[in-house]
Amino acid sequence: MTSQVTENKLSVIVRACRLVRRMLRADPEARQSQFMYYSMLEEYFARILRAKEEGGFVVGHTVFFPAEIIYAMGLVPMHTETATWTMALFTGECSDILASGARLGMAQEICTPHRGLAGAFASGALPRPDVMLWSNMVCDNTAKSGELIMEVCHCPGFFLDRPFKRSQHEIDYLVSELEDMVRFLEEKSGRKMDWDRLSEIVARMDRQIELVRKINELRKKVPTPFRPQGFLELLTVDYLFPGQPEALEYLETLHRELTEAVKEGRGAVKAERFRLMTLFIPPMYLMGFLDRISRQFGAVSVIEPFFTYWGEGRLDPARPLESVARKSYMIPEMRMYGPLDERALNAIVRCVEDYKVDGAIYYADVGCRHSCATIKLFKDILAEKDVPMLVVDCDVVDSTVTSEDEVREKLEQFFELLEER
Amino acid sequence: MKAVGVDIGSLTTKVVVMEDSRIVSYVVDEIGDEVEQSAKRAVEHALEKAGAIRGEDVYIISTGIGSRGISFGQAQKAIATCLARGAFSLFPAARLAIDLGAETSTVVRVSEKGRLMDWANQDKCASGTGLFLHQVAKLMNLSLSEMDSLPVPDRFAEITNTCAVFAESEIISHIHRVPPTPKEEIVAGVYYSVVGRVISLVKRVGVAREVAVTGGVALNKGLIKVLGKELGFDVLVPEEPRIVAAVGAALIAAENYERGANS
Repeated sequence: MTSQVTENKLSVIVRACRLVRRMLRADPEARQSQFMYYSMLEEYFARILRAKEEGGFVVGHTVFFPAEIIYAMGLVPMHTETATWTMALFTGECSDILASGARLGMAQEICTPHRGLAGAFASGALPRPDVMLWSNMVCDNTAKSGELIMEVCHCPGFFLDRPFKRSQHEIDYLVSELEDMVRFLEEKSGRKMDWDRLSEIVARMDRQIELVRKINELRKKVPTPFRPQGFLELLTVDYLFPGQPEALEYLETLHRELTEAVKEGRGAVKAERFRLMTLFIPPMYLMGFLDRISRQFGAVSVIEPFFTYWGEGRLDPARPLESVARKSYMIPEMRMYGPLDERALNAIVRCVEDYKVDGAIYYADVGCRHSCATIKLFKDILAEKDVPMLVVDCDVVDSTVTSEDEVREKLEQFFELLEER
Repeated sequence: MKAVGVDIGSLTTKVVVMEDSRIVSYVVDEIGDEVEQSAKRAVEHALEKAGAIRGEDVYIISTGIGSRGISFGQAQKAIATCLARGAFSLFPAARLAIDLGAETSTVVRVSEKGRLMDWANQDKCASGTGLFLHQVAKLMNLSLSEMDSLPVPDRFAEITNTCAVFAESEIISHIHRVPPTPKEEIVAGVYYSVVGRVISLVKRVGVAREVAVTGGVALNKGLIKVLGKELGFDVLVPEEPRIVAAVGAALIAAENYERGANS
């Protein structure tokens, strides 16, 4: 197995977060929540970098994994997919880690966050975790990635088997899986689970979900107060800081800011023209461009049915493990990933009506066969509601798949289409 | 006032001059080394043909993949918007326009008011485009008109439509077979291959009658026959299919001018 040592990319992310905060200081329109967000992001990755010196135990884990448990045990989580796409967000491309993944024998067709993260570990772009946790909560790539990372990093790992369907029987099974996982982590890290702390985290996570719901209520207003691509912050906070005090502080600040903006009738863009629904994740390396073009055309993402639109349900701190298990079925993405059923289509229809959606943009990550299978289904249901949907073929991290010019051309065409209606 | 639509494609610049909603002249010029200069020359040529008087108001809208490179004109519009407008003006019954260009294929859904409703395009591979047909003709030692004059038999060679390079290899293997596959069967196979790709785009936006076919490839009668056969009904082809997007751009130019004049 060959690997080419590159710079530890987490240091790059940490430096980039500092730079963004400096830039925000010079921006009169910057909000307090933005400073908080980048501080949190910086600290998240800096903590991983410091872990070795400080005797921290780094737990690598895949997307949607219940990080509440890692936090409750006082361990250091490292969300692998977010690490990969945050690299793309700040560095503009990920060609070196993708090439490293290719050297491991990973086929071009495998989705890039996974190809990239295996490559990132192999090349030294990401520090090796002490243990790796992964699950089957999303797709086959996620289910297999953990094994490869274990092999590349020579570390032990635990696979969390989360049943596809949801009934009390399956919840009970998942709770038993989580108990096994806690035992595994206790054995490997030498730290004991703090059950009181887990209850506190679950209570905060419940509040966190409530705050996102309240923020979304504000986003229904015309003009909408949240930035065109601001939902990525909500998503990242949810992924990286479940039930963490800083997440609550950030969301409360954001909620306060948006409430004030709504009171003053201030919209996220100067003249709101197009209220958009975002489906799937935009290319990270184009986020700056997407923000600029959105502002230029007065287009704002007002809702993301599979990212920020939490369904019904509360978490019960008195039953923390069961709550963590139940949350895995409440996550907005799970309407799309498992199993895909009427909940996904109903969510789209409700969002169209409640958020006064003019158009939808489906960022079709060409490597994600799982999500791309839904394109026609979503397009048809949106057409029934007379909402056009643009499909942008792209990749979350690989800038060679779609250029800025191609995306610009498609977006401009789509905005013209919306204008003509 | 002359309303001018300029469609700058991969190989040619199409210019349409309109006056009082009527086409008064058009030109189709090959693009030279300098896109801006070629386009300017084409516009001047078309205006001259239209008998434009010096000092007369001219409102220009450009479109097409080359339009970003030009600095003259009042505005730019996306190609699908112009295609929808142009196809509807020529065929008011058309609810779908299929534009088969040199490097891209675009399918446009048109509303009852002639507005763009949806579109899909294919620009990642040359298979399914005019340049692919050009390449096939060269490979088979045929001119485009010779290729067009070949009959389309019921029996045809199976040619892939996923990759132009693989398709070429298949064509070469058909040529070198003993006995070789008849030319018309290979050409028909290529038509079915191109049409297969186009039909998948059509299905993305939904089949809707009537269907207008535009772009340089629409001049190929054999391919149009196969397209109609695969769709299950005859398609509409304008007399000059290459200028439809430019017609749409000119119509938008006229509207914009009117709006400006009335505001």
